[in-house]
Amino acid sequence: MSVVTKNNDNKWYLPGILIGLGITFKHLIKNLFNKKQMLTLNYPEEKYEYSSRFKGNHILTVKKDGAIRCTACMLCATNCPADCIKIIASEHPDAQVEKFPIAYEIDMLRCVFCGYCEEACPVDAIRLGPEWQTPGLNGSNFIYDINHLAYRPALKGGIQSVLDDQDRHKAGI
Amino acid sequence: MSPTTLIKCTINGVELEVAQGKTIIQAMTENAQRIAHYCWHPGLSIAGVCRLCMVEIEGNPRVQIACNTMVTDGMKINNTSAKVKDAVKWGLDFHLINHPLDCPVCDQAGECGLQDQYMEYGKYDPEMAEPKQRKRKVVDLGPTVVLDSERCILCSRCVRFTNEVSKTNELGIFSRGDHSEIGTHDGKPLDNKYSLNTVDICPVGALTSKDFRFKQRVWYLKDADTICNGCSTGCNVKVYFNKEGVFRVKPRFNEEVNGYWMCDEGRDTYKVVNKEVRLLKGQKFANGQWLPEMHAGTAVKDAYQSLMKAAASEIAVVLTGQHTVEEYEAILSNFQNTFKTKNIFHWVNNPEIFEEFDGLLLRGDKNPNTKGLLQILEKNGIKNPWKNLEDGLKSGKITHLVVFGPENIPVFPDLTAKVNLFTTAKNLIYFTAVNIQQLRDYSGNNTVTKIPLKTYVEKEGTFINFKGLAQKFKRATTLVSEALTGVEAAQLIAGHEIKVVGHPDNSLLTPASTRKDQVTLEHRKKNEFLFTRGRL
Repeated sequence: MSVVTKNNDNKWYLPGILIGLGITFKHLIKNLFNKKQMLTLNYPEEKYEYSSRFKGNHILTVKKDGAIRCTACMLCATNCPADCIKIIASEHPDAQVEKFPIAYEIDMLRCVFCGYCEEACPVDAIRLGPEWQTPGLNGSNFIYDINHLAYRPALKGGIQSVLDDQDRHKAGI
Repeated sequence: MSPTTLIKCTINGVELEVAQGKTIIQAMTENAQRIAHYCWHPGLSIAGVCRLCMVEIEGNPRVQIACNTMVTDGMKINNTSAKVKDAVKWGLDFHLINHPLDCPVCDQAGECGLQDQYMEYGKYDPEMAEPKQRKRKVVDLGPTVVLDSERCILCSRCVRFTNEVSKTNELGIFSRGDHSEIGTHDGKPLDNKYSLNTVDICPVGALTSKDFRFKQRVWYLKDADTICNGCSTGCNVKVYFNKEGVFRVKPRFNEEVNGYWMCDEGRDTYKVVNKEVRLLKGQKFANGQWLPEMHAGTAVKDAYQSLMKAAASEIAVVLTGQHTVEEYEAILSNFQNTFKTKNIFHWVNNPEIFEEFDGLLLRGDKNPNTKGLLQILEKNGIKNPWKNLEDGLKSGKITHLVVFGPENIPVFPDLTAKVNLFTTAKNLIYFTAVNIQQLRDYSGNNTVTKIPLKTYVEKEGTFINFKGLAQKFKRATTLVSEALTGVEAAQLIAGHEIKVVGHPDNSLLTPASTRKDQVTLEHRKKNEFLFTRGRL
């Protein structure tokens, strides 16, 4: 093992400080006159526009009739590395649908937003949406249930799944 | 030639000796050679309809089905050649013409033979131009079974089961061609005591049990071998459980006892072991009120203190045929040595139907270990008629009563009457796995202590079945960790300390059971952590 000793011959600190202040001053001037290229935001008032494909909070998609698309196959829960998805399946009155979730809960505080659930889903029932700013007060509930995941106001009545049962049956799949 | 003559044959390059008269598929499955089979089941007759157990026999120009071909001397068989694989692949494609392949939704996924085969040989892009034939989806076949006709591959196993094993002939194949489907006749639902076996033998997810349907995905469940405690037949079973509890019971092959089957009644035994119905804590009723709940061990020690003060003739013990031989031995030796009492009584739940037998598996004696209890009582020279207990309680001679109550309470129709009788004792110590209504609502002048016991899936031991066959079984899981086994309870109540035995280090890492012909596919290996770990 070797000990590195730094021989700092330059005992004058003031030039260094002045150079640093100079850089700060340069940026201050630049930002004052060229606001568009400024790197920082006034965060709560100004928000950065992420891509619409940003993977944020989960969305459960719905069918054309507004019913939940999920078939409660539990592949997302199986694939989830954070073990944050909890589903309770039940028998659906419609024999063609057969199985649907009566409870679908995602614990957002455990979720690592890896997107594996989205990849595992065979019917495009779960997606990671662009919404990402979901702060909560102390004691708020971060376990999102079906109503929140599929029908929260921001989704305006639900996001429609690309693959519908009826289309699927028409295609003979 | 006698039927036991051994003949030589070569299967996949391995020289084997098999008994004369065996079919190729029997020879292969008995020697851990993997071969796909859907219509063939070792407990049923041969149908030869699935055409997937193809093998190539040297000297024969074409591949043949293994299930309906006898092994002959010097036969050279293989099922790994390109020719066989090609035949199986196309056979599978025919099966999948109308099979919906909705594995994610299907309840069988994870334990489905067709799914395994599809993942191994699957022609993922079907070459059929026609749309799939659509059939009835959720067909109610009877009180226990639901049919999904689309998924059915018409292997006819369930039909043969009702013809040959349960002999009730409820199921049949109706219609022709690709319209054919399994069904029942009008007004004759699939309703027999063995109906759920059709679900077990269904190689796909066409038949599902109403009880287990959609409760759990099978890959969240672990299985462990045990003995059914539903009746004195002592069927060998597997229980499927996870950390939430036990979800189903399935039969395990044992030629001597149950063959491949078990009854529907035995499948319900898991319902009394789950936490919702169990007694979780010890509790004492004294001076007209229930005291706060206490640890099971504390409750037993408390009971020990009360028993110590009593004379030998005042103490009586009641046993049922629901516990293991080891527990009886511990109870008898501890009570005889510590308390010097011989007042040990056998609580017989339904003596009038004890000798009943339905010809297949179900017996009238609904206790798994009546024989074991009787043997031990006889060995110890104890023969107390039940009347002595009733008289003793009435006259006040017996004041301290220790009851090792039953865990499978649905088969104890006299439970209420008996518990009411027991509570007439001054000091009742009731060991029970299940939380009993009568005890919960008890209010009177006597002292009652209820102490949780472990159920048959949570302990190891021996059951002796109706014909005297002793069957050992191991602990499957622990649902109520605080509950005591009968052995622990007997030691504690006699004032002894119990040793806590830990797990051997690697017991949690090795899977409980592996089939000899377990599928070892690459895609499964990738997910191995899920297979060995489960969700526990």
